[in-house]
Amino acid sequence: MTAARLFLPELGRLLKNRLTWLIALLTILSPAAGLTLYRPAEADTMMSMYLANPSLAGGAAGAILFGLLTVYELDRAGRSRADVLLDAAVSPLTMALVRLLSMIAAAVWTLAAAMLVWFPVSKKLIGSVLGATDFVLAYALFMGLAMALGILAASSAFLLTRRADLASVLLIVFAGLSLTVWADDWQLCWLNPCVWALSDDFSNFRIFRSVAYMRLTWLLALSGVWTLSWLCVRQYKKGLFGSFSRNARRILRPAVALCLLGCCALSWAAQPMVDHSDPDETKMSFSEIPYLDKVAYVRRLARVFPDTDAGTLRGTATYWLQNASGEEQTVAFGINPGYEVRSVTANGTKAPFRVGTRQEFNEALLEVEIPEADEVELTVEYGGFPRENGNLAIMQGSMEISDEYICLENANLSPRLMNVPPGEEGYPATIEITLPDTMTVIPFGTGQADAVDRGEGGTLTWRYESNGTGGILYAGDYIRQDIRAGGIDLEFYYGRKHRDIMEASGAADAVKSVVDYCTGHYGALSFLAGNSLKLIQSRVSGGGYATNGASLLDEQDFTAANLSDTEKGAVPGEVMIHELVHQWWGLGNMFDVSDGTDDWSAEGLTVYTTWRIVKELYGEAYARENYVERWQEAVDDYYLNFYVRNPQYLEMLPEKERAKIDNSLTWVRRYCEMPLKILKAQELVGGEESMDRILRGLFNRELDPASPWLTKQDFLDACGLTEEEINLG
Amino acid sequence: MEINIENVSMTYPDGKQALKSLSLNLRSPGMIGLLGPNGAGKSTLMKLLVAALLPTSGAIRVDGVPLEKAERELKAQLGYLPQDFGLFDELTVTEFLDYMAALKGLKNPKAHIWEIIRTVNLAEKAKAKIRTLSGGQRQRVGIAQALLGTPSLLIFDEPTVGLDPEERIHFRNLFSRAAQNSLVLLSTHIIEDVQSVCDHLVVIDGGAILFAGTPEQLIGIAAGHVGTFWEKEAAREQGLMITARINTGQGVRCRGVADRLPACVKPEEPTLEDAYLYLTSGEVTG
Repeated sequence: MTAARLFLPELGRLLKNRLTWLIALLTILSPAAGLTLYRPAEADTMMSMYLANPSLAGGAAGAILFGLLTVYELDRAGRSRADVLLDAAVSPLTMALVRLLSMIAAAVWTLAAAMLVWFPVSKKLIGSVLGATDFVLAYALFMGLAMALGILAASSAFLLTRRADLASVLLIVFAGLSLTVWADDWQLCWLNPCVWALSDDFSNFRIFRSVAYMRLTWLLALSGVWTLSWLCVRQYKKGLFGSFSRNARRILRPAVALCLLGCCALSWAAQPMVDHSDPDETKMSFSEIPYLDKVAYVRRLARVFPDTDAGTLRGTATYWLQNASGEEQTVAFGINPGYEVRSVTANGTKAPFRVGTRQEFNEALLEVEIPEADEVELTVEYGGFPRENGNLAIMQGSMEISDEYICLENANLSPRLMNVPPGEEGYPATIEITLPDTMTVIPFGTGQADAVDRGEGGTLTWRYESNGTGGILYAGDYIRQDIRAGGIDLEFYYGRKHRDIMEASGAADAVKSVVDYCTGHYGALSFLAGNSLKLIQSRVSGGGYATNGASLLDEQDFTAANLSDTEKGAVPGEVMIHELVHQWWGLGNMFDVSDGTDDWSAEGLTVYTTWRIVKELYGEAYARENYVERWQEAVDDYYLNFYVRNPQYLEMLPEKERAKIDNSLTWVRRYCEMPLKILKAQELVGGEESMDRILRGLFNRELDPASPWLTKQDFLDACGLTEEEINLG
Repeated sequence: MEINIENVSMTYPDGKQALKSLSLNLRSPGMIGLLGPNGAGKSTLMKLLVAALLPTSGAIRVDGVPLEKAERELKAQLGYLPQDFGLFDELTVTEFLDYMAALKGLKNPKAHIWEIIRTVNLAEKAKAKIRTLSGGQRQRVGIAQALLGTPSLLIFDEPTVGLDPEERIHFRNLFSRAAQNSLVLLSTHIIEDVQSVCDHLVVIDGGAILFAGTPEQLIGIAAGHVGTFWEKEAAREQGLMITARINTGQGVRCRGVADRLPACVKPEEPTLEDAYLYLTSGEVTG
């Protein structure tokens, strides 16, 4: 009560200090560092670059700055001897609590000011895809809570040591640990949460939940530590232990501290975000489980009900099996480790089951005893908050379940059968999923989802058929465009938030141009299902992939920034062409990119093909001016570059600086030098038609499953040329 | 308000014993002067009374309640000016007093703060930052914050240090007025200050009480032990403590105290200062 009464006067006093304003100003400006100096989010989405990075930088800087301010403020009362007056009026314990609350309030005020300053900046940089919810959550979780933790840590350090110098050093060390040693542990990096990407076009609740959970754990920990240090507030001229024993006489105080620390330990151990998959990914014991003898698969029906508010899912999966063994059998399933199996019944009666503790590749082993009956109808009820693969804990966010986006893969969708061989028709399955009616369901593969039932509360149930023990399902607030090109029926799906950008860049025309051109010149994509293909824009995932009848396009390739990248295309529509050409060079034919400095990658042939398409669309002069001449200009500069001519000096540079220069040089090698080399090869092999024949041959070549990559040597061999011959000299 | 100090001893962690089994009753209203040489234990006693220290043994009761339990209530009605204190330099005088008033839980204190600012003669500096004030002005801010809320217990440790004579007189009168309704404990080296305003005196030395009573009683103790003499006549006298020396045309005329006055000393009426010096010089025998 006294603390509440004193809060405003103390806050007022704090805000009358010029240093407070200086710290607040620096904190408000600190997100600027996220645009240049400190960019932990590696993805190229607009939200990663212009929202995640600034707010993360603001959090790191704000936590340290406010931590140091806390130490200064706590120390100055004693340093200036004002404490003798204050202590005579109010208990030092109360004053310590009031100072903490005031400092946190000042941090909240600073955060609010930072948000006001940065919202228009972010809006201008990010554009139409910036949502207010994402903005508020990013700043509150990435920046605001970091400041609160910094204040708690600094205050604890000072109350324990009573020395400003020591407390400051402890704070810096604590922050340094988070930025270095703990940086790759999502639960430990209290200052700089593991946020590798924020999606532009879809929701980000999963990563926000993860960061919020980490912050909650640390808030509990540091609140507990702070309460203990608060009990060490020096009184009656006693030392650390004397003060502690005196202050801890009221049993409630240490009890609160222990309770907070206990909750922290519980929160740490019971984290729901990632699983405990074996870090040794060469051990694949689940895939080595042998098929059951005389047990056969008939069909599966999975009914899935995601809760898009809670990010959870519940489902019922029914498996029809034939058991000709005449005895009970143990059927094995892989299930997401976050799901709880609520019940299992076989032919209407409860069947014994167990979920093993071993987890690998984001699956736990569910073993169910089935009876000796010939026909077995096995129903598994499951649900919960899905966990992501613990080995990819620093790249969380993919298991998004919201009313904007859902991606459910294999065991996340329904338990994945592991030890029953396929029946005559393989693994036929029917999937039903009930979602808000604003969402479109897209099975990743050949199937088509149909809306079959409109439920209460604006839900829609979708049904589709598939074949397989797992399966991947995408759902989201998608726009679908049907395009006929190159003799293929294309379903092009992209997020509604991205409509303006897609329309402005002429996405549909680009798709048509690319498919027409590439199918005509190189051949059809191998992952077509008959004559149809789904092109699905996915939430940021770090790359695309394809299956029979569907291909995934990472949203990173369609950001406003990427579409303005003139290295890839002169205008956004041409960058769109570039990204779609990757379906042929990059996905249809894969490239080994293990050597990051190699000039040979999917980019060379993609840029070359983009140039060819643009030439066909807009004429030779335009294409030469906007492509070939630009490549030549960049390559001329490249050959004059000091580090290219004196690579020994590059080796002498610090690793970070070297990597930065290496990256820019590799960019030129891949996006400019290699296309020019291909162009030179084209001249040497006799022109465009000859090159088209060569590329068609390479595209449709027989693949070696052990090494499916299209190598530079393959290209040179197909051209009948040597490396030296295509060198630009 | 009544404060009972019962057999209080205080030994610091470094082993220094500041108070030895000290007992004292303080009752309001009244103004008590606390006298004693440096290191006598005055400040320690004051810190015990404001709960900045806990006694090693013994008990302090406030209106019959042990201080440990009455700490919050005591602080709510306490005005304290320590000997060595600091202020928040970035605040103005008014802002600082406003802040202290809030800490003391005063409601709507604006008018009261202005009244106190005028009382301590700081009206001209009311809007000035504390960092711009002189030593004496800072001392007045310290006094002002102690007076906030018209506390029923006022403890001043050397409050007139740094003040000019006119201000000293002003403030001791102020303390005297405050003592009409409150218990005021005034620690000082300046005998004149306590002589003018204190109705009760406590003399401490070596952590123990040497005297507790009225100024008249203290003066009475020294009766017959104070006199004047020529320095050259008393040069060989033992046990004579000179308290004043005046150079005159005939030589140096001294004033002194002694347990037994030599024949060359002309007896004089003792002053409070004589009595204090007589008491603390160790000449009192029984």
